[in-house]
Amino acid sequence: MSAPDEDNSSDHTQLASHFFGELLDSVIMDVASECHRIARLGLDRNLDDEEEELRLSAQARAKVADPSNSEANSKYVVDIFGQTHPAVANEIFDCMNCGRSIVAGRFAPHLEKCMGKGRKARVKSTRSSTAAAQNR
Amino acid sequence: MSTTLNPCNHLSDYKQRYGLKGFNLIQKWVKTSPCGKTLISRSKSEIPRCSFCCGYEGRLYICLICSSMSCSLSSGSNHALLHTKTQIGHEIAVDIQRSELYCFACDDQVYDPDFDRAVMCEQVLGLGNVNLEGVRSNNKRKRLGFEGGLSSDFKIMKRVVGSGVGGDWDHGRRLSKSCFPVGLRGLNNLGNTCFMNSVLQALLHAPPIRNYFLSGRHDRDTCRKTSSDRFCLSCDIDIICSAVFSGDRAPYSPAQFLYSWWRLSENLACYEQQDAHEFFMSVLDRIHEKEEKTKNTNKDNGDCHCVVHRAFSGLLRSDVTCTTCGFTSTTYDPCVDISLDFNTNVDHISPNKPQKSTDLGISTLTSCLDLFTRPEKLGSDQKLYCQSCQQRQESVKQMSIKKLPLVLCLHVKRFEHSLVRKASRKIDRHLQFPFSLDMTPYVSSSIVRKRFGNRIFAFEGDESEFSTNFEVFAVITHSGMLESGHYMTYLRLNEQWYKCDDAWITEVDDEVVRASQIYLVFYVQKSNSSHKSGEDVGCHLRSSPSGDSFMSIAGCC
Repeated sequence: MSAPDEDNSSDHTQLASHFFGELLDSVIMDVASECHRIARLGLDRNLDDEEEELRLSAQARAKVADPSNSEANSKYVVDIFGQTHPAVANEIFDCMNCGRSIVAGRFAPHLEKCMGKGRKARVKSTRSSTAAAQNR
Repeated sequence: MSTTLNPCNHLSDYKQRYGLKGFNLIQKWVKTSPCGKTLISRSKSEIPRCSFCCGYEGRLYICLICSSMSCSLSSGSNHALLHTKTQIGHEIAVDIQRSELYCFACDDQVYDPDFDRAVMCEQVLGLGNVNLEGVRSNNKRKRLGFEGGLSSDFKIMKRVVGSGVGGDWDHGRRLSKSCFPVGLRGLNNLGNTCFMNSVLQALLHAPPIRNYFLSGRHDRDTCRKTSSDRFCLSCDIDIICSAVFSGDRAPYSPAQFLYSWWRLSENLACYEQQDAHEFFMSVLDRIHEKEEKTKNTNKDNGDCHCVVHRAFSGLLRSDVTCTTCGFTSTTYDPCVDISLDFNTNVDHISPNKPQKSTDLGISTLTSCLDLFTRPEKLGSDQKLYCQSCQQRQESVKQMSIKKLPLVLCLHVKRFEHSLVRKASRKIDRHLQFPFSLDMTPYVSSSIVRKRFGNRIFAFEGDESEFSTNFEVFAVITHSGMLESGHYMTYLRLNEQWYKCDDAWITEVDDEVVRASQIYLVFYVQKSNSSHKSGEDVGCHLRSSPSGDSFMSIAGCC
């Protein structure tokens, strides 16, 4: 036979359990109701499509990471037009700031100094700024 | 909203016989909590009890015909069902804790637009949003004036759609292997300018931009004569566009463009690697500024019609909700792109398949969009002033897209700047992205609808003339490290991917693009093949008992 205190605590425990159960049921029902509405009204995202996307993505990464896959990892030989290009672009044109002939691949560093932007640059006296404007 | 909602027979029978009387009655008893949940409460002083057992536990239902209350317990005792047996025909009831219709004959939750409308109206009133202003504004943001609230006829932003809009693929240009699409041409690297080349490739192939320049809409002669500026990025792009689409395949050097850009953006001009996104934003700004100066656009109508804004401009909506009273304050901000934080909560493959312990899951672009539109609880140090409570309260903020642009540029924030450590780092994590993207879950009407419990209701902006379906056409990737990396663009032309690595143009498979480390993704709207017609999207609150127009309810929608 249990003492009165123990009886009370087991009653309390039972009561607490009971209320917790009620709350839990209510919360579960809330979620179920929301999901049911979303599904029934067609507001849910197409999970099949999403899964398919994830599968394609995983497949793609595996394929690309495969060392035997030459296509993804090879250096360029020719581009689709059959052309080949050097590491530093070798087209030559005139700088629109100072008029000098510059190699394309070195145009940016040249322009920086030419415009006086770099640390060690002096502004090059432009052959004429009007000449540059006319060339536009 | 893709609903072909067929009501169950019992619900239609009920409506036929009783009309909207029951709904109107229920509407009076709808109560709203600050978090937006609705419940049916008849009396303020008494708790609801089951008429059979006087119990107050479990689920309680109120009959739509006789308003009697009955309970259903998880133990199995179902007085609500009993009620339908004793009162023949009383099959439809309302779950009072959730304001949802239940059909006891079908034993399922059912849905009805008129019922939802009734609940919605009370819900909106209950949140205290009776406010003519509705839209908070400050100097920087557009003042939109009167917010039309729930009326679906009220269109705030009437978009003037430019010519050559998105979805205009190169139809009928199924070409043989030996003949490649026009407009495919390499760009020479002028010295650490891959950031510029990658953005140019994407820009030149954005359908509205491409079409604008190819149809000669920017007249260089007129531009030179009318403008006092020596430099015009639009003129330079016009030249590059002509060159790229000329059929000449030798790599082109965008030197003049670089020069013009440096002259126009003094603070960014230097010979070192730049951030492609920053460059992109800067270019859009310069083009827009130039257009504004020359056209003297009247600022009043709000919409800018310069080529970049017509292509990229969208509208973001920001809702700040008071956690104490539920009042929501809404602001709108224009945007030309969306910057997304990485969502570290990854998508897992379906729960049916067993998870390996090493499986970290894949981060996806859509989960980043989810994160962007997720309600964010602002910290207690960021309390915002609530108009309804008249004091600073803790708030929840939620972003959504009010108006989608024609060309959607999504920026993945891979470069993290830590103020604490005073260092930056790059997030190398792979991000999955779809080739076809449906933006429906992220638009304002969807987000707001969700906040109101996904009720069947025509929210403002539902019937948009724009599609929410997008198709990718360009991806800018970054490989390497923060300080010394390399940008490349993948272009999708005629469903074939091409890799544009400065001067080198090569064909690649879908997998290569999927596996790449995306930084900027460009989507264009798929054109609507047919106009939405006939669907009942108009809502005029017919079931409202007071007959109010609700035009004054602002700030909730």
